[in-house]
Amino acid sequence: MIGRKLGNYRVTAKIGEGGMGVVYRAYDEVLHRDVAVKVLRKESGRSSATNESLLQEARASSALAHPHICTIYEVGEAEGELYVVMEMLEGKTLCDMYGQTGLPPDSVIRYGAQIASALARAHGRGIVHRDLKSANIVITSDGLAKVLDFGLAKHSAASSVDDATRSLATIENASSVSGTLWYMAPELLRGEPADYRTDLWAFGVVLYEAACGRLPFSGRTGFEISSAIMREMPTALGPPVPPALWAIIQRCLAKEPAQRYQRASEIQVAFEAVQSAAIVSATPSSDRGGPPLTVFHTVRHVPVRKRDVVLLLGTVKGAFILRSKVGRRHWEVGGPYFHGHNVYALAYDGREDRQRIWASTQNYWGTFLRSSDDFGRSWTNPQHAPIRFPADTGTSVKNIWQITPGRRAEPNVLYCGVEPAALFESHDAGETWSLNRGLFDHPHRPRWLPGNGGLALHSILLDPSDQKRMYVAISSGGVYRTDDSGQTWTAQNQGVRATFMPNKYPEFGQCVHKIAMHSSRPERLFLQNHWGIYRSDDHAATWDDIGNGVPSDFGFALLVHPRKPDWVYVIPVESDEFRCACDGRLRVYRTRNAGSSWEALARGLPQRGAYETVLRDALSTDGLEPVGIYFGTRSGQLFGSRDEGRTWEKIGEGFPSILCVRCAVVEDHSAPAMPTRSRQTAPRVRPRTKAASRSTKRRSMK
Amino acid sequence: MRFHIPGALREFAGGRSQVEVEHPPATLNAALAALWRVCPGMRDRVVTEQGEIRPHVNIFVGEENIRYTGGLATRVTAEAVISIVPAVSGGKGGAGHSVFLRPCMLQANIGGAEHPSSS
Repeated sequence: MIGRKLGNYRVTAKIGEGGMGVVYRAYDEVLHRDVAVKVLRKESGRSSATNESLLQEARASSALAHPHICTIYEVGEAEGELYVVMEMLEGKTLCDMYGQTGLPPDSVIRYGAQIASALARAHGRGIVHRDLKSANIVITSDGLAKVLDFGLAKHSAASSVDDATRSLATIENASSVSGTLWYMAPELLRGEPADYRTDLWAFGVVLYEAACGRLPFSGRTGFEISSAIMREMPTALGPPVPPALWAIIQRCLAKEPAQRYQRASEIQVAFEAVQSAAIVSATPSSDRGGPPLTVFHTVRHVPVRKRDVVLLLGTVKGAFILRSKVGRRHWEVGGPYFHGHNVYALAYDGREDRQRIWASTQNYWGTFLRSSDDFGRSWTNPQHAPIRFPADTGTSVKNIWQITPGRRAEPNVLYCGVEPAALFESHDAGETWSLNRGLFDHPHRPRWLPGNGGLALHSILLDPSDQKRMYVAISSGGVYRTDDSGQTWTAQNQGVRATFMPNKYPEFGQCVHKIAMHSSRPERLFLQNHWGIYRSDDHAATWDDIGNGVPSDFGFALLVHPRKPDWVYVIPVESDEFRCACDGRLRVYRTRNAGSSWEALARGLPQRGAYETVLRDALSTDGLEPVGIYFGTRSGQLFGSRDEGRTWEKIGEGFPSILCVRCAVVEDHSAPAMPTRSRQTAPRVRPRTKAASRSTKRRSMK
Repeated sequence: MRFHIPGALREFAGGRSQVEVEHPPATLNAALAALWRVCPGMRDRVVTEQGEIRPHVNIFVGEENIRYTGGLATRVTAEAVISIVPAVSGGKGGAGHSVFLRPCMLQANIGGAEHPSSS
């Protein structure tokens, strides 16, 4: 080959050889520059159609102009040989650099961010690498990472799977296995097709070996390697590898593609956050970055003990925490936390040994997710907003509407529904978050319309019987269900009316206000619509109107009894135009037969001049026996029932307009170490027994 | 360059009301990037994840609101005084209406404005 001409290129020397072909240094006799030419290995049986496909893909890759992607100048065919002409890079491959102990962490983070940006560009253009490995990454003499061979490995990857499956019988040692196998994702070994996330797995392998100098999955034979990839967890990386870098690597190496980052751009953001943190730690004055925790010294805190009932109140001016003993007769009020912020979403996470409160805060300065492990005394105060749309979406988070802890079996999983409508998920207990692309990239999304409160994903339901199934509700977009852990979503709105659309029963676009489910009957869902109360008995595939006898089927809040799957609560408002309790009478409506009939629950609630509104997340339950039900109004009143809604008492008033009510019982296993009462401990608020007190005296918030 | 920091963000600037950053003449975008390097927690509070200034945040270079001088492309000198201030907003809905006050009018209560109701 030396001395031969391929097109305008005269081959001058052999540089290297890989699974796909031989790489030569060549001289471009037209542009007078050195180039690298990869001559692809002739494979017996490779058809002309396959050649054309390979050429097409290489041509598409040549359009990837990016500082961290090796530029492809030309692809061609001469005398039956396919060749790819590339930028000539002076440097070393990554695998020649990390040695026995790995690279310094700051180098791994720097190169990692660069490689992630390269993958993000390629994935954004629909190109999957399929053969990412440290031998395919060159670190130039200028210190830049360059990814080689985008889009060229489609065919060689398939042959490596063959190697792996054949290895059980024929391969005696690992040296005879294609090097690509070390980087192969579990789903490829199962014979599933490659997608973006198989690249992200391989990226995780590259980061692991760059960080510590060894591969995450090892074995003496191809079978052992593939078995390790499928079943084993890599050895954890400790210092000097920083926890944040290890967290990124772990997420890339999740066995299930749905559990990984879903796009390289998310990894890029994660690396940027790590880099920013590194800058902070390198700053001599450590206080410049801001405190990791905010301690609320000047507000009242409630001392919470095991078996206490805790009510979390989100309002337009901050959050409050109320606490009662299990009898639920007297409530103490703590807060306000986050003065002046909207708190649309709150959640209590009692999984494992946690007793963590999550809150979303929103004001001029953006929307942030905060958490407290000591019932409000201190809250995390993240420097960077962890819930953020990737750069390629061109979208920014306006508000976080819902925080939903994952199933008990997934104690580190959390979900957030945001505005504009999108689902974010965390697999590391809220440390990092990623956008669910299956839903965000849904072809319906551009046609969803904002309701009065914005275009929000406000409800998230997890099917307790099927870990891959979940539901979300969007106003105005409708209900969507996934049966594959969020990879794909389908609209589930058949039978749900959209009064404001020309077609009253469209496939999607309904203004759904709330959906709810009982854990013992996961096939059954209830839905409060913008006009209409519905039930589905077939996993949301079809819906039937059950607003039988309620004075108005317009409303927001909807709640299923925690133990009785046929018991449902709604709080109707008069109409779309007049969103207040019907006739000025504040009434909760309950069905005990899954919607065949409804009864008004009014004992203890104001029945004259009570033009109240209860928003979609302002109704909650404690799950105790008998069950307690709680709701807050936009006028700042908080009501509770200790007998499943039969009678009600006013727990408090004078709160800012209430957006969200959540209830939790602090579990026995997690007795909190709260300080005893101090002079800042909250005063006791006695529930009112007289129903219709309309005192307008309000607590000063400033 | 000297940055005036609003009260709500001072916890991300070591409690200081002003932060000095040595930087040659540049665009406002580059000047802010220099500020983020010193006070990283401020970035996501002043700009969105897409790098746009948040709707209810105003930035002044001297006395001029940068919305009228080229936005993030506004040229700033090495001696520029840059003020980050919340818009004075009110009314219903997230957008509300914004009244742009000049920095000299805001020194007394910088950061103390009420957020518009999102009801």
